[in-house]
Amino acid sequence: MADWSYIPQVLVSGLGIGCVYGLIGIGFCVIYNASGIVNFAQGAFVMLGGMITQTLFSRHGLPLPVAALAAVAAVAALGVAIERIVVRPLWNRKATMFVMILATLAAQIVIERLTLIAVGDQPKTLPVFTDLPPLMIGSVAIGTQFLWIVGGSLAIVALLAAFFALTRTGKAMRACSINREAAALQGIPVSRMLALAFALSAALGAIAGILITPTQYTAFNVGVPFAISGFIAAIVGGFGRPFGAFLGGLLLGLMQALAIVVFGAGLKTVAALSVLLLFLFIRPSGILGAAK
Amino acid sequence: MKTSTALAAALAACLASALPQMASAQDYKIGVSAGLTGYAATVDRAWRDGVELAAAAVNAKGGVMGRKIQVIVEDNRSEPQESVTVYRKMLSSDKVDVFVSGCVSAGNFAAAGLLLRAKVPMMLCSILPQLAEHLPWAFTTLPPAGFEVDKRLEFLKEKTQIRKIAVLHDPTPYANLQKTVAERNAAKYGLEIVSIEQYKQDDADLSVQISKARSAGAGAILKIGLGGTTLTAAKNIKQLGADMLLLTSLEDLAVFGPVAEVLGDKFFFVASPSQVYEALPNGPLKTSIKAFLDPWREKYRDRDPNWASRGWDGVMLTVAAVEQAKSFEGEKLRAAFEELKGFQGTTGVYNFRPDLHQGITDNPFVLATIQNGAVKVVQ
Repeated sequence: MADWSYIPQVLVSGLGIGCVYGLIGIGFCVIYNASGIVNFAQGAFVMLGGMITQTLFSRHGLPLPVAALAAVAAVAALGVAIERIVVRPLWNRKATMFVMILATLAAQIVIERLTLIAVGDQPKTLPVFTDLPPLMIGSVAIGTQFLWIVGGSLAIVALLAAFFALTRTGKAMRACSINREAAALQGIPVSRMLALAFALSAALGAIAGILITPTQYTAFNVGVPFAISGFIAAIVGGFGRPFGAFLGGLLLGLMQALAIVVFGAGLKTVAALSVLLLFLFIRPSGILGAAK
Repeated sequence: MKTSTALAAALAACLASALPQMASAQDYKIGVSAGLTGYAATVDRAWRDGVELAAAAVNAKGGVMGRKIQVIVEDNRSEPQESVTVYRKMLSSDKVDVFVSGCVSAGNFAAAGLLLRAKVPMMLCSILPQLAEHLPWAFTTLPPAGFEVDKRLEFLKEKTQIRKIAVLHDPTPYANLQKTVAERNAAKYGLEIVSIEQYKQDDADLSVQISKARSAGAGAILKIGLGGTTLTAAKNIKQLGADMLLLTSLEDLAVFGPVAEVLGDKFFFVASPSQVYEALPNGPLKTSIKAFLDPWREKYRDRDPNWASRGWDGVMLTVAAVEQAKSFEGEKLRAAFEELKGFQGTTGVYNFRPDLHQGITDNPFVLATIQNGAVKVVQ
């Protein structure tokens, strides 16, 4: 008889990785809302979050929290740089959306290769934030980094919700997402909001990378799979809905974990996406409905 | 007048710069299809560097039969489809004479038919192609897959009380081959495989597979596959609080350092002779490794020598075959490879035969661990 006692453990694993997918998905939504662009450089932000933190921590001896904060700031600045150097010129020339999406994909590849040149191809990792034995609930082990991932993700979602609901800047970004022309007529600096959206999105990607790296490894080429999963999370949640993207990430993480149990890792993505496809047939606009 | 003088000087400069190009038409061209990006990047970049180091060493001594070696490297992105493209490019555009290609097994399989038609032999890092018709043109520096597996099973039997084990492998042909060997040989060592799980090289989490293995009662995991996932597996084992040993296949020492920090004395790995050079007794093997390791360390310091050492072997075997054949022609080189016997390489002694294109026949591997940052042989 099959032993299914490990299923709760599997669900915990799925939730952990799902939170990371969700954060990346939110990053996609923030930029999409401000600009209508799907930013495929999102994976590079995840990779750089972990990589810069690791470099500052291991090579330069900075304390981990300082290294992490510096990495988030650096990646946010890079997000603004991509907006200014790659997206803005195309935006000003009224390039089609496909061109801008392609440009972000090119940016992803450039960042990946520059990272390879700068730090080499060896996988690297970070220590867990709190090095304690896992918390045991029955037979389910809850690693301390899992608590950091889930707690950190929920805190960020709550902070983002407060930012968009309570601050003038957040409200201005929401206004841009509803109607950019009308927002501009109201005196909202739309182009500055676009830069801010890139900074915010890049910072979210970096935080996701910093949270997940202690449970696995980082290398120059880890970004793309995360970007794909985050993109799927954003679609499942209802593209343009940050909270929906987070829920989409959780759903994707759980589906992938269960798919490994039922079908094996080889068919994990196929199985998970098939279920999600069925879900989208029933509800094409995603969990919370598309933003527009 | 000044203008015409300047033009003449420019023309002369152009001609002068073209001369080395013309001379290079006489170079002996070694093509390398390597996964410089993708999951095999770590090992194949090292393989490429080993090939280039060996070519430089051969060229410094005058080349092979008077011709300098030129190494042409193309990135197959660790993908079979891309491998076919780069092999085709190197055959048709670069007119490569022989291939000394990297560890992406599926890519080398996919391109084997091209080489058969072009009558160009390949010396590989990976396992040999699976189709019998492709075998005559393919040779490998890789010891049989069973060697890596047997070394770990032997250790578990002799040094531990663990009798139930799990296999965690990636989907590459080489990993699947090792998995099959493990299934076949485990009982011989009194071991039972209670869980066989696959993972993908870009998986961010392996805790589901490890949870299944633990639930099935496995006391040790035989991990088979390349890349940073060994680190992920180690981290996941620790997060799950699982009391399991992790025994991994050949990999870069740079990956093993952080893994050992996570799992401590619960981590063991299969090591090649070049990775445990200091622990080897004096003899032909150590001398052969030294010939490679001296220039390697001079250029790359403490970078892992394993994959590069076999890349070095790949070039040196090719040079030996060319000199034995006294010809650069593909068919004669292929025949010479089949007759190479007693060649002392950095991984062991190569003995090829017409019916044996996997030259290493004695298990050269050891099982090692890392204690206080230093590699220590345990089996």
